This record gives sequence, structure tokens and C-alpha cells, in this order.
Amino acid sequence: MSANEYDRLLIQRIREGDDAAWDELIGRFEGRLLAFINTRLHNRSAAEDVVQETFVGFLTSLPNFDHSRSLESWLFTIASHKLTDHLRREGRRPTVPLSGGSSVASSQWDLPGTARAASSIHRSQERQGLEYEALAAGMAEIIEHWRKRGDWEKICCLELILVRGWANKDVAARLGLSEQAVANHKFDFLAKLRTSIRKQGLNHDVFPELRS
Amino acid sequence: MSFTRQDLEAYLDEALPAEEMAQIEEALRRDSELLATLGELQATRDVEGHSLGSIWRAARLTCLTRDQWGAYLLGTLSPEEEAYAKFHLETIGCRYCQANLTDLTEQQQQSTAETQSRRKRYFQSSAGYLRK
Repeated sequence: MSANEYDRLLIQRIREGDDAAWDELIGRFEGRLLAFINTRLHNRSAAEDVVQETFVGFLTSLPNFDHSRSLESWLFTIASHKLTDHLRREGRRPTVPLSGGSSVASSQWDLPGTARAASSIHRSQERQGLEYEALAAGMAEIIEHWRKRGDWEKICCLELILVRGWANKDVAARLGLSEQAVANHKFDFLAKLRTSIRKQGLNHDVFPELRS
Repeated sequence: MSFTRQDLEAYLDEALPAEEMAQIEEALRRDSELLATLGELQATRDVEGHSLGSIWRAARLTCLTRDQWGAYLLGTLSPEEEAYAKFHLETIGCRYCQANLTDLTEQQQQSTAETQSRRKRYFQSSAGYLRK
């Protein structure tokens, strides 16, 4: 049985109210969640409280769990939200308004936001979900191809550019490559991704980073 | 200190390494321009969707599995995989993988009684939310 299939069955049992399944999930994930949260709080007791909130949040959000996502990622996402809430209460993090712009608080930490109609937010969220899946699938395919060929240099190169936002010259210096080689890897990745997006029936022009 | 758009996006997602999260928070306290930039970025993401980098990170396209981190600790990954694991952990600074590695390391050091007591507490405080 694959790990995803096992998790799907575990969640099914939790949905049916199975105490043993819930106990198993806690045992599997609490340690990594605690480590994730405590690295920010440096307060074990407070971190344990946030882990507790994460598990309660998981159970209350269970009807929305999407089985195409990994269980661990879903738990980390909930933990991030609970941690953010905790840090805001402590005054360490600015409050970012919700997309609708209706929840602007009065703190000096508040960020400027835009107000939009709920229907337009709903439509764009639906569209963004499709685009997210298409891009994630396209990038996963390229990375897997490179990984199988042992092209770790290309993976590191694109991860620095896209995930950390490094400039080509800094990537070149870090990886010991020429700037031209970095530019070539980036060009190759984006060209493959455009092809993948087209194959999935989407127009790559709607993605600002893929416009040629 | 300047931050990339990707750093700020990761900040919004609570996904940067803890030290970098703290640096951005510190900068936000005294730099109203940075605060405005972050607000604009949030609004742009709401309209245009997330960047390739934030999708890469959220979908965890290059994260190692728990088993792979176990193999890393045992020193049984291939040299290429081990070099990549270090890069992902230290240069990219993946918070999720750092958490997994910390947890695996602590499991070897903590007492079973302490862990069991913590897990029992989590169970007791949340089991009431299970559907019966």
C-alpha cells in the first residue's frame, strides 16, 4: 500500500470517529509540528499549545481536506496559520487583511489591502486552483526527469532562482557555473514548463513568469 | 538589508527559516516602505495567483521524504543525494524539512515517557472534536 493510500484510509477512519486512528495520527506528526513551531517561538510550552490548536484545527477542517494533497503538507499549512495567529497576538507579526479587505484591524502593523467583491474572489480562487495544479504538475515532471538523470545542478539552479529569488550571477557564483549556463538552465526549464502547460490545455500567457 | 519578492512571499506563508523570518519582522517594524511592498504583494497574489517559487515550495516539489531524512541521518544516502539534501536544508532553508530532521534527531534523545505524556495531552484536548 502506498503512503498516500495509507493516509487516505487513516483519514477515513478518523472521519468515522476512530480514536485509535486519531491517536496514530497524533503520534506520527506531533514531533515534526512541534519542531516547526518551536523554531519560531523558542518556548516549548507555547509551542505545544500551538500544536494542540493545530490538531483541533485539523479535525474541524477535516470536511475540507483534499486527498490529492499530502497529509503532512496539510498539517504544516494549518500549523503555519495557527503560528501566525499566535505571533500576531504577541505583536510580533503584522496583520495581513483577508482578500476581501473587510478585516482590516486598527494596529499600526496592519498592511494595506484591496477590497474586492466576494464573487470575483471566488472566481479567481477557482481559476487559481486550476493554475496551481497545472504549474505544480508541470514543474514536478521536469524536476523528476532531471532527478532521474542525476541533473542535480539544474535542480539547485532553478530552486535558487525560483524559490529564493536569487539573481543569475549569484546563482552562478554559488554553484560554480557560468552565468550563461544558469541562463540556459532557466530558459530550458521555462520552455519545458510552457509546453507542459499547453499540453494541459491552458494558455501559458496567463502566467506572468511564463510570458515569452 | 534587501529582501527578494520570493523571501517576502515565503514570509507571508510562514515558510522562511526562523532567523530570516525574524529579520523581516524586525525590518517591518522600522520600514514603512517594506510594509507597503508586502501589502502590495499580498494583494497581487490575491489577483494574479502565486509565483512559480511559492508553488514549488507549497507543493514541496524537492522536499525529501521522512524516510530519506532518516537515511540522511544514518549516512546511507548516495553522495549526490546527500549533497542535495544539505543544499535544500541549508541554502534553500526549507522549514518543513528542517522540522522533520529536528524531530528525527530529537526522537533519538528524548525519553519515551515525555513523548507519551505530550501525545496523551494532545489526544485528550482534541478527541472531543472527533465525530462520534
